[in-house]
Parts: sequence; C-alpha cells; structure tokens
Amino acid sequence: MDGAFWAEFGKALLLQAGWNAAVVCLGAAALGAGAGVVGVFALLRGRAMMSDAISHATLPGVAAAFLLVSAWGGDARALPAMLIGGSVSAALGVLAVQWISARTRLGEDAAIGTVLSSFFAVGVALLTVIQQLPLAGQAGVERLLIGSAAGMLDGERETIMIVAGVLCVIAIALTREFAAIAFDPAYAASLGWPVRALDLLLMALLLAIVVIGLTTVGLVLIIALAIAPPATARFWCDRARPMALISGGVGAVGCYVGAALSASGDNLPTGAVIVLCLAAVFALSLLLSPQRGIVAALLRRRRLQNRVHLRQGLLAVARSEPIFDARTVRILCAAGYLRGDGAPTEAGAVAAKQMARDQALWNLYRDLHPEEAFALADWSLRPIDEVLPPDLVAGLMEQLAQARRGGIGAA
Amino acid sequence: MFWVNDFPSLLLGSLAAAVCGLWGNFLILRRQSLLGDAISHVVLPGIVVGFLVVGGAATATALQFATLIGALLAALAAVALIELIRRTGLIESGAAMGVVFTAMFAAGVLLLEQTDASKVHIDVEHALMGGLERVVWTAALSGPGSLAALADAPAEIWRIALVYLFSAILVVVFLKELRMVSFDPAFAEASGVPARWVGFAIAAMTALAAVAAFDAVGSILVIAMFVCPAATARVLTDRLARQIWLSQLVAIIGAVGGYMLAAFAAPALGLERGVSAAAMIAVTAGLIQAVAMIATAKRRQ
Amino acid sequence: MRKTSPRPLMEGRQLKRRALLRGGAALFALGGPLSGCMQTAPKRGAKLIAATTGMVADAVRVALGRDAAEAEAEGKAFELSALMGAGVDPHSYRETRADVATLLKADAVFWNGLFLEAQLEPLLLKLAKDKTVVALGEATPTAKRRAHDDYAGRYDPHVWMDPSLWRYAVRAAADAITKLAPERASRVKANTAAYLDELSALDAYAKRVLASVSSTRRVLITAHDAFGYFGAAYGYEVVGIQGVSTESEAGLARIRSLVDLIVSRGVGAVFVESSVSRRNVDALLEGARARGAKVAVGAELFSDAMGAPGTYEGTYLGMIDHNVTSITRALGGEAPARGRLGKLGEKS
Repeated sequence: MDGAFWAEFGKALLLQAGWNAAVVCLGAAALGAGAGVVGVFALLRGRAMMSDAISHATLPGVAAAFLLVSAWGGDARALPAMLIGGSVSAALGVLAVQWISARTRLGEDAAIGTVLSSFFAVGVALLTVIQQLPLAGQAGVERLLIGSAAGMLDGERETIMIVAGVLCVIAIALTREFAAIAFDPAYAASLGWPVRALDLLLMALLLAIVVIGLTTVGLVLIIALAIAPPATARFWCDRARPMALISGGVGAVGCYVGAALSASGDNLPTGAVIVLCLAAVFALSLLLSPQRGIVAALLRRRRLQNRVHLRQGLLAVARSEPIFDARTVRILCAAGYLRGDGAPTEAGAVAAKQMARDQALWNLYRDLHPEEAFALADWSLRPIDEVLPPDLVAGLMEQLAQARRGGIGAA
Repeated sequence: MFWVNDFPSLLLGSLAAAVCGLWGNFLILRRQSLLGDAISHVVLPGIVVGFLVVGGAATATALQFATLIGALLAALAAVALIELIRRTGLIESGAAMGVVFTAMFAAGVLLLEQTDASKVHIDVEHALMGGLERVVWTAALSGPGSLAALADAPAEIWRIALVYLFSAILVVVFLKELRMVSFDPAFAEASGVPARWVGFAIAAMTALAAVAAFDAVGSILVIAMFVCPAATARVLTDRLARQIWLSQLVAIIGAVGGYMLAAFAAPALGLERGVSAAAMIAVTAGLIQAVAMIATAKRRQ
Repeated sequence: MRKTSPRPLMEGRQLKRRALLRGGAALFALGGPLSGCMQTAPKRGAKLIAATTGMVADAVRVALGRDAAEAEAEGKAFELSALMGAGVDPHSYRETRADVATLLKADAVFWNGLFLEAQLEPLLLKLAKDKTVVALGEATPTAKRRAHDDYAGRYDPHVWMDPSLWRYAVRAAADAITKLAPERASRVKANTAAYLDELSALDAYAKRVLASVSSTRRVLITAHDAFGYFGAAYGYEVVGIQGVSTESEAGLARIRSLVDLIVSRGVGAVFVESSVSRRNVDALLEGARARGAKVAVGAELFSDAMGAPGTYEGTYLGMIDHNVTSITRALGGEAPARGRLGKLGEKS
C-alpha cells in the first residue's frame, strides 16, 4: 500500500478513477443504503439471515424458468425470464418462512434454515436434470442470476438508485409500524394496524433489494449489506429510526469507500473488499462504541470495581483494619488517602470517617426499608445523598444520631 | 454393484445425515440452526490457506489433509467469533453468523486473488466438498465381509463414523448438561454447569461434524441435515431424548429414501441418469419436515 | 404470541425402534435387486467406454469410429457413454449414481485430467488401479503444458484450445482403444490417421486466418483465463477478466487496466464465453466506450463447454473452427463466414 495506491484511492473517492469505478461506487453506495435501511427492520424482526434464504431460494426458480423457456423454444438465457423465475421462487420461500414462523413452534432461524436448504436442494436437483438434457445454452445456468460488483453496468446503477430510493422512502415512512411489528405485534394489532400485511410488505421490500443485489453484486455481498450495517448501527442506538438512518449511512459509505479501495490497486476483488470494509466498521463499532461497545463495557466494569475497592478500602481504614489487597492499596494511594507505609493521610482519615458514616446510613436504610434497598442497584455503591432524596437522607441522619446518642447501632 | 456403489453411498449419507441431525438438535434449541450454512462459507479461507501452505506440487493426500485442517481451523475460528459477538448481548445469532461468514468468505476470496492462487486452477468447491455418489468400495467385489475388503473401505466412511461415534458418546454422557444449557442457560449456570463452555463445545462439535460431513458428502446435504431432522423432531415432541431419537430416524429415512428416489425412482420416471442424490436427500428431509409441520400446525392466531 | 404445544404424534420408543429396523431393512433389501435391475448391461461382447467431458468424448469417438453406419457394421463392439453433454461445463457438473455406475462398469475411462474434473479425480485414481483410465490432457508433454510461475505441478488444463496439442490426446485415446481391442487395431489406426489429418488442416487453417489479423490487433480479451494455449499457439495476447479458480472475482483495477489496453491498442472486439456470465465483459465495454473507444462484443466463444449437441459446433472440430473464425472476423482479419468447411451455423 504505497503512495501510488493512496493517490489512486483519492482519485477513486472523487470518482476520477475511470468510468467503471465511478459506476460501481455510486451503484454500490445506493445498494448499501437501501439494504442497510431495510435490513434494520429485518434484523429487529429476528430475520437477519432472511437475505441468505432469499438468495438461495432463487435457484429453483431459475432452473425451472430455464427448463420452461427451453421447452417453449425461446432463448433460455434471457435475463428477464430468469429474473421472474428467481423472484417467484424466492417469494414462495418468503411465504414459507412466514408460515413456518407463525404456525409452528419453530423459531425464525429454523424457518429460514428449512427454506434455504430445501429450496436450494430442489434447485440443484433441477440442475442435474438440465445437465442430462441436450439443451443449448445450459452452461453456467446456476450462475446466471449471480452478479459481481466490479461488473456493474450503468443501467443497473440507475435501477439500483431508483429502487433503493423508493425502498428507503417507504421504510422510513413506515418506521413506526415496522418497529411495532418487530417489538410488540400485539400492541400494533391493538392499534388496528394490519400486522400480517405490514410483515409481508417488509419481506417484499427485502425481497426486492436482495434480488437486485444478487444480480448486480453477488450472493455474499448482498447478504453482508443486509446484515452488517444494521448490526453496526445496533451498537450506536436503540431506537428504530436512528438505527435505520445510521445503518443506511454506514452501508452507503462502506460500499463507496470499499469500491474506491478496490479500484486503487491490483488483485483487489471488489465485492470482497467492500464486505471487509463493512466488517471492519462493524468490528470497530463492536469494540469502540462509547456506550455499547466492548471496550466501553470493560471500562465501565473497571470503574465499578475501582469504586468498590475505594469504598471498601476506606471502610477498612475507618475500622483501623489492615488492607491486604494490592489493588485497593494502589487506589487509595493514588487518591491521596494512604501513605506509602500503609498509614492513612489526613485526607484519608477524613474520607474514611465520611465513608463509615455513609455506610451506616445505608445500613440503616436497609434495615428500615429492606425491599427498596434490595431493589436499588446503587445500594452502598455511591454516596447516599447522591442516590436518595434529601428529605429521606435527612430523616435517616436524624435517626442515626438518635441511635448513637442512645448507644444503639455502631458506625 | 450394490455393495460397491450403493452401499457405501447409503452408509455415508446416513452417517453424515445422522451426525448433522444429532448436533442440529442443540442448534435448534439455541436458535443457531443456520450454523451449518455459515460454516460452509467460512471454510473458503481455510482451504486457500491450506493450499498455500502445502503448495501446488503436493501429493493429493497431503493437499486433502491440509484442506481438511484448514477448513476445521477456519470453522472453529468462525464459531469463536460468532460467540464473541453474541456475548455482547446486542446481536442475535443469525446476525452474528451473517457478519462473520460473509467477512471470512470475503477474506478467502481476497487471499485467493492476492496470492495469485486464482491463476491456478483450484476448484475450491471440490477441494473440500465431497460427493455422496462418488464414494465406491471397489474392494467389496471380493466379498464385503472379507477382512481385505474392510481394510480397503473408503476413508471418508471411517472418518465420519469416528466423528459420529465421538458425537454420540458426548451426547449420551453429557445429556443432562446439554439439556440444561440448551433450555435454560441461566439455571444451568446457577447449578454449576459452565454454560458458556458447554455452548462453545456444542458449536465446536458442530464445526467438526460439519467439516467431516462436507468432506464426505458435500454442502447441500449437510446444511439441510443440520436443520430438517431436528426441526421435524422438535414439532413432534417436547422431550429432548425423544427429539434426539426422532431426529436420527428422520435423518436416516431421509438419507436412504432420498438416495433411492434419486438413484432409482428418477430413472424409472424417465430421467435416465437420475438426479443428484445429495439434493434429493435434502429435499426428502424437507418434505418429511413439511408433513410433520402441517400435521402439527397451530390454528392461525 | 402464545404458542400452543403440539399434538403428540409419537407413542412409545418400542414402536419407533421396530419401525426403524423394519423400514431400514426393507429399504436396504430393496436396494439390492433395484440396483441390479437398473444396470443397463452393455450389449453382449461390447466394451463399455466412459468419457467425462464433451471434448474428451469427442476424441474417443474418433478412435471408435464416428460413422454410425460403420458402428452398425462392426456389430457395436463399443458403447461410448459420455458423462457430460457437449454443452456442459465441467466445473459445475454434478455426477449422479448412474454416472458412477457407468464408470465402475466401464472397461476403459477417459478424462481430461490436469485438475479440470477435480470432483472426479479421487474416484478415477482409485479406478485406475484396476482398469484402463487415461487422462487425455496429461498426454500433452510436460514441456508443452502451461505451468504456473509459483506453483509447480499445476498446469492450465485447457489444452484442447490448441489443435496441435490436442493431437496428443487423440493419439493417446487411440493407443488405449487399440490395447483394449487389439483386433480392431487397423480400423482405429485408419480412423485416427484421418482425424489427425483433419486436425492438421484445422491447425493450418487457424494459423492462416489468425495471421491475417494485423499484429497490433492480436489481443484476445475474454471473460476468464481459458485461452492461454490458444494465445501461445497462434501468437495472440490473451487476457481474461477473471481468474481461473472457481471462486475468483474480478477487481475494478483489472477492468480499468483492460480498458487502458483496449484504448491504447485500438482493440475493436472483446469476447464472451458460453459458460461464463457476460456481465463483466459488458461492463468492460461500457468503460471503454466512455473513453471513446469503438469496441463491441466480437462473438461468443466456446471455452469450457462445446456448442449445442447435434450441431457442428457441438463437436471438437466445429468448436475450434467457430472460435478461430469468429475471433479472426471480429478482429478485422479474413476468414470465411461459414468457417473452414462452410459448416458453421448448420446442424451436422
């Protein structure tokens, strides 16, 4: 990856790396946006792998179309016939998944798996029928509907942009409805929404984008486009609308940049590079997303542990107990509460007394209101006046003072 | 002819179907039915690396060995990544699988092109994927029961039989733990069963069974057998032990029935060469599942 | 949604086990007689020859005698079973049980080798221990095979693209058939000699017409890397958009460099193949035309599969004739529209 590579990359980003690169950058970006937006709702619906099933379910239709058109003496390799055949069998597959999910106890994954494997197997069986018939033009039938990204044509780019645009508009307009049927279908039904029709509409949108994607960029890439950007968006927000927008954005940018990268150097297969770009964005989000990422979670855990160590350490100081845990000692020293020889500093002694008092208040609260205390996540983890309302705290302090005066209850 | 041609295919098909059906039971309970499909794609980088490591001049056996090991390592890596993603709690199995398998497949294609291995005629699909019909037991001509014949039985059969035996032993010995982890991981954890490790073991065994089965009979049959027998059994019974037995039954009926349909019924109906047995086995299993689903379908809610 | 529990359908384990055993036994028992009666035994005394690819079958037919009447007169001493039809791509071929049975029963098996039929290789190597199994592609001397720079022992399998190399295959088939049926040696020799003369004529025709294309325009841009031997034999620069491996995928930089090639060399025609999708080629054309180049699809070539069965292009001679003639005419050279024998485009 030398200077020449990055110079080319810059040019490719500006659509200056040749006609094909420009077509692919724009077309793939549009596809990424469309698949990203629609894919979010499929993901929320628990049907992330539906794009895989749809792709595989096109095969029997393609094979059947080939046989029928050959029988009628037409040009069996004509794309429209293949497209119709593939779409019909894919649609049947979608309906089968709906039926299995709704009417049996099998989950979405089993429904998708059943349709994927059975339909594809029927397709392969038909292919072995074709291969023993003396039909012309049969070489490569199974790959007729499978495209590859680098070979995207300008007409395809146009179609993708229009279709993806329409799908995005529909999906974003119906965000509320789609989210409702994903999270709480009973609620949606109670609002009078036609749940089954909406479900089928969502599946139809997914079918459209997957079939178009299959023919233009191939099987693995369209599946990646329908799953990776939505999964990425999941690490940045919880609500459907922002998720859809982020997913569409990630899809579009990932495809654009990936296509540009592929145009910048030799031996960089376009579809594969785009998938890896999206995977990289996903991995980065998984790790680095501020709230939901792994790194953030680890940091949160560490902070929590440090807080516990600090608290317990100060309590031990208040009780004049020796501290054996090295980490606790480290934390206390770092906070200036402990000297090198293990004796508390002035600040440390003060903090320890405060902590002991805080703990006493918490314990009192727990004794008086055990159920509330049990339900509180922050019981004894944070200072009581940061968690409970001031009047409650004042009342507890009063009671504690009384108990101390009366000699009952130790600090 | 039966012993040379059909018997090994039937045996191989049955064993492969049975071992996939066996692990499929746990996959379906953990909502990971598509793991077989995912693994069929992630083996690509493993195959390419295997080829690169051994080099083009390697003997056929060396190449096959390298391919198997590469595929298995790739499958295990994929399974580990999928678990990692699932554990964030934000991404469900299907999406985790989708991200991992597409990324690994793309890495395989990139590796293929970058190392110029694309100029070499690697038939990637056939490097790993076996074929049910082309397993023959030529030594059986001298009598299938003879020791010489047994010694010369196709290696794929021994491999898959070993994996099946190993799987069956694991399932029988650890049925209690497997049941707990599959139905209620939290309870399992609370009872002292290391649910995460058991879960990973299930996935790892799935990877092993998948690679062994791909090597024996190819991918179409395997993906179907990870789903259909267990799904059929699941709609017919609540109890895990019964589900396992049923899945094995469906797997074997599917394998034998599908083979018969492909090899004999199809020619009888006019297709002289028959149809792909692997595909028909998958279709048969699917049909059995369809019948079971329709028979037990709930009313529309 | 409330999921109701299913109606129980299975009763006791005993019942299941018995059913399983009975069913299994029945199916296995059925398999024996069924597989027996499904065997189509070759005619009495006739030797069964199996061939894999269409090209290989074609070469074997040479030795066996192409003429139907001739075969009749010989009392059908041979029966040739070609696994793959003329128009079938070896990469996506799925063998069935019947195909394997044919291979098992055959007295001789002919295949291409050189890793073309990767799926059948282990089986064929196993069969080679007991019967005559000949890899026609490997009859090509090692020195004349196109080897890969980095991977020793791996060659380009498309040797049929060069008629002067295919001679080795035809001769190897003839030798094997002669060994199988020594009594027919003279017939085989005569058939083979006649065919080799045809091959020479085809080769000469190819050299002649392909040379009529101006040297700057001798660039063959195709969908995938199948024409290496062709290019080497006739002095053409051969460029495929996609690599040879089954999972190979094209990159944008490659298409761009091909566009540059088209523009700089003034290439007027690119070529699609019958067994590979034409999409990449169409994209290449769009890119070239955007730079103002005048280029179009010259013709559809036969690479991994031959033409439709029953036509002239469905034979080896016709396939090469078609390729050579189309390439020449598309690149501005001179060749008869109906090919060497005037047979292109008609049913044989």
